[in-house]
Amino acid sequence: MFVRAGVRTPTHNNCDNRAACGVMTEVRTDPTIAERVAASTPEPLARRVRGLSDRAIAWAFIGPTVGLLLAINIFPLLWTVYLSFTNYRANRPNEEILWIGTRNYERVLTDPDIWAAMQATAHFVVWTIVLQTVLGFGLAWLIDRKFRGSAFWTTIILIPMMLSSAVVGNFWKFLYQPQIGLFNYVVSFFTGIDPSSFDMIGSVTLAPWAIVIVDTWMWTPYVMLICLAGLRSIPDYIYEAAEVDRASPWRQFWSITLPMALPFIMLAVLFRGIENFKMFDLVVQLTGGGPGSITELTSINLKREAFEKWRTGYSSALAVILFVAVFGLANIYVKALNRVKQR
Amino acid sequence: MSSVELQHISKRFPTVAALSDVSFTVRDHEFFVLLGPTGAGKTTTLRIIAALLKQDEGSVLFDGEAVDGLTPADRDVAFVFQQYSLYPTMTVYDNLAFPLRSPMRKTPEPEIKERVQHAAEILRITHLLDRKTARLSGGEMQRVSIGRAIVRQPRIFLMDEPLSNLDAKLRESLRVELQHMQKTQGNTTLFVTHDQIEALTMADRIAVLDHGRIIQIGAPADIYDRPATTFVATLVGTPRINLFTAARENGTYFVANSDLHLPMPGDRAMPQQVQVGLRPEDVKITPGGRFTGVVALTEPLGVETILHIRSGQQTLLSILPGITPLRRDDPVRFDILHERLHFFDVDGKRV
Repeated sequence: MFVRAGVRTPTHNNCDNRAACGVMTEVRTDPTIAERVAASTPEPLARRVRGLSDRAIAWAFIGPTVGLLLAINIFPLLWTVYLSFTNYRANRPNEEILWIGTRNYERVLTDPDIWAAMQATAHFVVWTIVLQTVLGFGLAWLIDRKFRGSAFWTTIILIPMMLSSAVVGNFWKFLYQPQIGLFNYVVSFFTGIDPSSFDMIGSVTLAPWAIVIVDTWMWTPYVMLICLAGLRSIPDYIYEAAEVDRASPWRQFWSITLPMALPFIMLAVLFRGIENFKMFDLVVQLTGGGPGSITELTSINLKREAFEKWRTGYSSALAVILFVAVFGLANIYVKALNRVKQR
Repeated sequence: MSSVELQHISKRFPTVAALSDVSFTVRDHEFFVLLGPTGAGKTTTLRIIAALLKQDEGSVLFDGEAVDGLTPADRDVAFVFQQYSLYPTMTVYDNLAFPLRSPMRKTPEPEIKERVQHAAEILRITHLLDRKTARLSGGEMQRVSIGRAIVRQPRIFLMDEPLSNLDAKLRESLRVELQHMQKTQGNTTLFVTHDQIEALTMADRIAVLDHGRIIQIGAPADIYDRPATTFVATLVGTPRINLFTAARENGTYFVANSDLHLPMPGDRAMPQQVQVGLRPEDVKITPGGRFTGVVALTEPLGVETILHIRSGQQTLLSILPGITPLRRDDPVRFDILHERLHFFDVDGKRV
């Protein structure tokens, strides 16, 4: 009876007696979700919805999402864990799959190539985060001065972030060209070094920095944007109070600006850290992991092991190790972030 | 502590003139209240004194010396903001100690501790010292914010509606505390408010501000008993003053649309048309009163009852002590205290 009252639309419900209508609406206060869904659904579909319980409706809504999530996220994850304990090779599907215990993990952890890749990743992640945070916060701090045209400059600064990373990798390859590249020309203009005397991508010592520079160029605006949000969230009257309390600009920065913007900075670091730990496309386009394997980050290494050498079990073990590492680090970091936010 | 003088201060914002030719002096050890409705320019005045804002014209003097070139830090004022303005990442203790830790003041840490403790005791926030400010209630935050002002000895306390964000009970008790503190320590205080009760209860002197102009300066009794304009008369006093237009005929003012008539004061020249102001407490309900009316509404407040009396087509307010047995539509007789009448011309200026 309740359900039917809920389904009734005003057009069906030509009620002459206002008071009676009022009573009716009072009776069906607090309709269940199923009733409300039925009331706002076209008539034929509503008839089917009406019989369901609230719980069933809830499942009907989140079911597809949960299903997809299980199918393309959770199942592959578990399957990868399983495969990491086998000698499975994806290019030989007919071969018998053998359970080999933790031997893949032993191999991964004793492989010097893996450790080299980890080192390359660490170098890349640490330096990009340091540079992007310092530059991004600095830019945000300058833009926050609200000078004439600051909105225009904000837009200009955001452009690199809007480009596709494959495109960025490709054109920086040209910028880094020793003979015709703009980068080498600019460096030589300011330092007087012969532009063709160094090759950012070809040199073993310079290539790790080449990828750091490009990623910093591309993603500093992103860090700036988050820091800017943090700086804008600090109300002006706090600075005014500090000014009256005779705090120097230096002290205002250290005791107000930085602590209050810190949660935002930490968030930016988290996002950039996760992103760069799995960096792939930009570096593949730019250096392809070379020269040699000096810029071969773990994600590139993983892709080679899995889909070029087809060592599926082995690469699964590597993937599981990386997943646990990132997941663990991110969790610790989020805890620290929450503590900072709660201050 | 210092005296602070404003000389012909004007300030224009892009769309409005915030202050025009504002002059007044806050004497040493005085509790001076700036009273006015929202948008009158009260906060602008405070911010100009603190040098958080620069005036377009005029000058600010501390102890007779112009301080127009000085920064907020150099002027050495304490400012209590309406939004509390505490440093959210610090504890209450650090908030209170913040002004003392300024390199310009160079206070040794034991002395800081002593002064913070002392301020905390005055404001009864000793138990909060270790807390983060984000978890305090509004009243506690405002106490901390006042505490941050009193830990040091500034030349003047500037308070920008510090009580207006608090609930009524808290406002009342903090009002008393502030007044007590000011009287015992003799702090020069400039207090901004839109609340006439705060102004009347706390002030040594009041300046009434409207649309960026000073309308009247005087002691609370002056402001209440001799309002310079109808604006001041209606701004101060609850219940509101009765205000009628009246026309003169043969030495008597007749109030429009009613049988109320009032004698013309003989000691000054009076215009033909006037506005008459009549405080509710000066309308006396007595059995033998000269005027008759009908009770239109009663508002019993316990300690007194506000009576709305209809006389002709005019309604006037009166106050009776305690709770009255009078009901709606009961006839009443009343008298008007002639010596307490306020006469204003048609433009609202006192005559």
